[in-house]
Amino acid sequence: MRFRTDAAPKAEGAVVYAPDLEAPGMLWAALVPSPVAHGRVVRLDLEPARRQPGVVAAVGAAEAVSLLPGGTGDGAAPVFPSPEILYHGQPVAAVAAETLGAARAAARAVELEVEPLPVVSGIEEVFPEWPTRVALPHPQVVGHVHARRGDVDGAFGAADLVHSETYRTPGVHQVALEPHACLAEVSGDTWRLRSSTQTPFGLRSDLAESLGIPADRLVVEGTWVGGGFGGKGGALIEPYALVLAAAAHRPVKLALTYAEEFQLGRTTLPSIIRLDTAVKGGTVTGRRVRLLLDSGASLPGRDFAVGYSMGFLLGPYRTDTFEIEGYAVRTHKPPFGPHRAPFAPQSVFALESHVDGLARRLGVEPLEFRRRNVWKEKDRTAYDQPVGPFGLDACLAAAERTLRDWRRGLPPDHGIGVGCGFWSTNAGEGGEARLELRPDGLVIYEGEREIGNGSVVRGLPTVAEKVLGLPASAIRVAYGDTAKAPFDSGVYGSRTLAALGQAVERASRALLATLASRLGAATSPTLELRDGHVTVVSGGRRVRLATLLTPEERTVGGLVAEGKFYAPAHRLDTSFVTDGQVFPYRDFTGGAHLAEVAVDRETGHVRVVRYAAFHDVGTAVDLALVRGQVEGGVVMGLGTALSEEMRWEPTGRLGNPDLLDYRLPRLRDVPPLQVEIIEGFAGAGPWGAKGMGEPPIIPVAAAVANAIADATGTRVHELPLTPERVARALKLL
Amino acid sequence: MTDRPLKLVLNGTPRTFEEVPDAERLLDTIRWRAGLKGTKEGCRTGDCGACTVLVNGDPSLSCLTLAREVDGDAVTTVEGVTRETVGRAVVKAFEENGAVQCGYCTPGFVVALSGLLAGRSPPPSTEALLDGLEGNLCRCTGYAAIQRAVAAAREAVR
Repeated sequence: MRFRTDAAPKAEGAVVYAPDLEAPGMLWAALVPSPVAHGRVVRLDLEPARRQPGVVAAVGAAEAVSLLPGGTGDGAAPVFPSPEILYHGQPVAAVAAETLGAARAAARAVELEVEPLPVVSGIEEVFPEWPTRVALPHPQVVGHVHARRGDVDGAFGAADLVHSETYRTPGVHQVALEPHACLAEVSGDTWRLRSSTQTPFGLRSDLAESLGIPADRLVVEGTWVGGGFGGKGGALIEPYALVLAAAAHRPVKLALTYAEEFQLGRTTLPSIIRLDTAVKGGTVTGRRVRLLLDSGASLPGRDFAVGYSMGFLLGPYRTDTFEIEGYAVRTHKPPFGPHRAPFAPQSVFALESHVDGLARRLGVEPLEFRRRNVWKEKDRTAYDQPVGPFGLDACLAAAERTLRDWRRGLPPDHGIGVGCGFWSTNAGEGGEARLELRPDGLVIYEGEREIGNGSVVRGLPTVAEKVLGLPASAIRVAYGDTAKAPFDSGVYGSRTLAALGQAVERASRALLATLASRLGAATSPTLELRDGHVTVVSGGRRVRLATLLTPEERTVGGLVAEGKFYAPAHRLDTSFVTDGQVFPYRDFTGGAHLAEVAVDRETGHVRVVRYAAFHDVGTAVDLALVRGQVEGGVVMGLGTALSEEMRWEPTGRLGNPDLLDYRLPRLRDVPPLQVEIIEGFAGAGPWGAKGMGEPPIIPVAAAVANAIADATGTRVHELPLTPERVARALKLL
Repeated sequence: MTDRPLKLVLNGTPRTFEEVPDAERLLDTIRWRAGLKGTKEGCRTGDCGACTVLVNGDPSLSCLTLAREVDGDAVTTVEGVTRETVGRAVVKAFEENGAVQCGYCTPGFVVALSGLLAGRSPPPSTEALLDGLEGNLCRCTGYAAIQRAVAAAREAVR
């Protein structure tokens, strides 16, 4: 079986990624990092760098302003800090030279004088005690969300049990193995960029806004992406390369070292979460959710994560009486950024640990407790949105059978935990596809490159295959830059197949409609490939496509059809929100996971013995792709659960910017993994598909934490669940 | 630091590179002097395995190897490995088992596994092969499909 067309070229090393890019006359760039996490640039002298051999350009804040006259003049987010440095390693200047070695030597030669300022390295420095009331505006608060529904005080006043806990989660990095890299070139009035990006069009608008370059003069070509996981969305390194290219009048290549990747990446940042649940007569009657989220150097009003997380902290549970409040706390770190289901695994770790402990307190089997309370199809969410087709209870029912099986003969010091969560496929702004049906096959023309999950190289052709009847071997995907390719919002929100797939579906149907009218047929024809020729089959008649095309279509481009899918607006009645913004969710999908762990009662070491994941996928357009997402998401989640943690020092310096000290799951860490697909709860994607890129990572940390509690009777309230933390919770240390 | 010629038998062909600094890493010689970009640059600190090549048949990290250390040796990259029978079988096993997603780590896995399988009859056990791949990181697949591919490749070359 030839499963994906990109697999063999990738395995043979024949695919060009951004770090591999070269261009005639290309220069290499190096960044000049700030030595402090907070400070003021007092003096920046680039001349010593310019005198180094092989150096062609050196740029800092002043050069950026003169090269980009339309750029951010108000200092809101300048390319280089002027004068305030906001995080350790923040580039204060950049150089371009004939070789990478020369560029790095020149970067070290830059003379930089910085006045250090007090560093806020974490949430607890801003709020040593849990804040009960914060006077806003507050210099260290860049976002605030508060909302309330129902009689919350009444529910807590009348409760016969209040379950209250505090959870902590750390910074975690996406760790795509391919570091950020791009190649910039400025010629005439065109700024051209090839970059490893999840969102070529989003990157273009991001750069247009921040650099003040009109979008039609910026051309972005996405390369193959060596992993993104949210980390390759908006602009990160591209402004430095573009400014250097403008200064040097030559193409400039910039690729991050892995240490820079860790230091500069926009990642998940630490949080403190407080949950209080009111119970009366065994029934949950009210909930309070409070979140302090480290937002790093996020600009005021730009934080999305606090508002977006609130729904995940309330969970897939019937809740009509609640109060939510969250603060985005400004610290001296790079800004918070998206990371595969942004902050959902952390939210769900806290909520599902809390729910699990509550069920045990109430003497109800934890999985059964969830089944009593999770949304069913006819329910409404906490924000009063209709849930619609949602298979979480079916996932839990399937998990229950496996749980019973695993419980039999469970060894001592082993435990089984359940975790569940929801996700909402984010269709984004929209997407378009152009299909070119040629005498020898179909070309799907896209501006978005394959990121790895297979949605573009395999998912989109599968959609066309199902509508048209052509075999996959006759369908290929071609890519263009933002000047030529159809618009698409890009890879995020698990949207690619669900949203762009609909654009391909519509374009495919438009092709058939055109062919029907050319044949004078009342019904849509189907296509097949006969002896290498696309053949149109209609009412028992077989006609070669070539005979239905105009001379121009036969010669160039073929029969062209365009399909567009723009997501319908999802309005939310936000009258219950008193400050900030919460977000509507849509197209719900659910997943329930089971983890069996063995806990070493002497060292606190946790071994995941086996794992099972049950997911409501709507309809699996391609089972192998779904399986790849579930397996990959679960193992990435095991890293979040057990070992991954960015450790910042009080100076604001990241203490473990490497893959030795930031520990990812390795091949031998992976337990036997059972994947079960639940179908029958149709989503909005093609044939009812739901986006599956993000859901599988969401319940993992919760399932593992609950398994530890099941094995030991002790709950660990902080991620990751390292031997040290587990040992402390077990009072071994 | 001296810049001297360097000789390698690169993918079976004797090559001489002029003025190679003693401090140059084999990874850079391969990628930027020989222009063979299939060997991927990941962490450059020996933690990810994306840059794995064979030196005299043994899997080695080209980011931690100075080119000078292997002067005169046989260096085989993913481009060379996948021209051979064992490398072809490994690529096919990865392709058929869904073991390739973003693909950035894949050449490292293919080279390492091919190095562990080539010329060994009978092949090492699947468990021994998986142990041998412990130094290669993958962030997309969760290693599950890679484990299936390893077992399939082992069967194919038996």
